[in-house]
Amino acid sequence: MERKKVENTYITHPSYKDKFRPQPVKEILREVLTAKLDQAQYHADQTPVLTKAVADEVKDRLKELHLPRYKLIVQVVIGEQRGQGVRVGSRCFWDGDTDTCVSEVYRNETLFCVATAYGIYVY
Amino acid sequence: MADDSHSGEESAWSNDEIEKIVVDVLDSLLKNKEYQEEMVPYWIDEICETTTERLNELKKSFKYIVSCVLMQRNGAGLHTVTSCFWDTVNDGVFTYVWPKEKSKDQVKKSLYCILTVFGVEY
Repeated sequence: MERKKVENTYITHPSYKDKFRPQPVKEILREVLTAKLDQAQYHADQTPVLTKAVADEVKDRLKELHLPRYKLIVQVVIGEQRGQGVRVGSRCFWDGDTDTCVSEVYRNETLFCVATAYGIYVY
Repeated sequence: MADDSHSGEESAWSNDEIEKIVVDVLDSLLKNKEYQEEMVPYWIDEICETTTERLNELKKSFKYIVSCVLMQRNGAGLHTVTSCFWDTVNDGVFTYVWPKEKSKDQVKKSLYCILTVFGVEY
């Protein structure tokens, strides 16, 4: 099967208005996390479904921004609050001009959530 | 039947190669380590940077994102989900939970590490 490739536009940089800007994305993350997790409690059975719902909702909202030639990656980590220590970190090998990442943390009494969104430009 | 994918073989996402690198890095950096609040940021830095360097040595035309979650083991649950809008043929993701439960491994581990590697082709 032939691999489909996106057509070349020979543009190596998005225009300013089409750039993946962190601020609107951060607000989207904050809105989705607050909306979906405000009343939520940690349940071993239901939380996987909830996590997936949050990730899909964030991805859909980011798609609505219609950033052309951007690939989107959303990672959501939800854990139970039991006084344990936890650290989330990431390193990326990409083009610093065009690619960005944004992350947001949400806490309530029984759970914590770290959502990270990455935008990668396709040349 | 013409198989065009052979021309892109070097750019194919290979879970096995990534797994080898990830297991190697985690085993060498986290072996016999106990969870320590002050040291964890440095460990995460080291893990992510070493993994990224090793991935780049594969010399494939991929941009990589390495994400690491280090959590103290005290019975709490953790869930990770990734949702991606990309080219499903060429791009890939690999997640690994360390340590793998081995019955012969008698040392009780005090931390969990979840390493996720995303590869986006350019």
